[in-house]
Amino acid sequence: MVPLQVLWAKMPQRQANATSLVAIIPIAIVAVPIYYFRKGTPQVDFHMALFLVIGSVVGAYLGARLLRYIPDRQLKVLVALFLGLIGVKELLFP
Amino acid sequence: MSWNDAAAIGGGLVAGFLSGTIGIGGGLAFVPIMTIGFRMAQPLAQGTSLAAIIPTALVGGITHLRQGNVRRDAAMWMGGGGVVGAVIGALVAVDLPSSFLARLFGVFLLFSAYRIAAGARRPPATPKEDPKPSV
Repeated sequence: MVPLQVLWAKMPQRQANATSLVAIIPIAIVAVPIYYFRKGTPQVDFHMALFLVIGSVVGAYLGARLLRYIPDRQLKVLVALFLGLIGVKELLFP
Repeated sequence: MSWNDAAAIGGGLVAGFLSGTIGIGGGLAFVPIMTIGFRMAQPLAQGTSLAAIIPTALVGGITHLRQGNVRRDAAMWMGGGGVVGAVIGALVAVDLPSSFLARLFGVFLLFSAYRIAAGARRPPATPKEDPKPSV
């Protein structure tokens, strides 16, 4: 969603990043039961999720507070680097 | 609590920080942490990442709303559209080979990275003037 907002809707990077995080909330709420109740064994490890979340809520709060202090250009470089890294990973090790 | 749990907290901290700053971090960072770091299977990592995203995005999203970073109209349209897309995607993705989907997604990410990086290289709208030498 971040690339769509920046490249298509020409939204500033800071707004695009924050807006995408808010829009993820309803999507994830709908998607988790689909993964959990799909045929076969439940594809959600709640023990793992719990410990990831203990760290991630702290990180998300700090990251969200810090966002306004990062200039748009540096933020774009950061986003591009991260997308590129994951893109290469998905292409080589799908 | 085991070392694995402690490592998960540390990984979560990094993934949460990325999701707070670049918005996409949550899912895209949780999954590699679990598949590469914890040797979990891809579908299990994806389902678990979705569960972990909910509280992460709630905390990050509410903080962003308070900081005035969010375009509320865009968030509602994308959230609503995303829900429809998630249901269709979940029904279709079951029948498609997952490596094909992953490669397709990889191409989309690389193209986006290139375009966003090109945007960062463009000179800013108000270029700074060279400081004049003092007399």
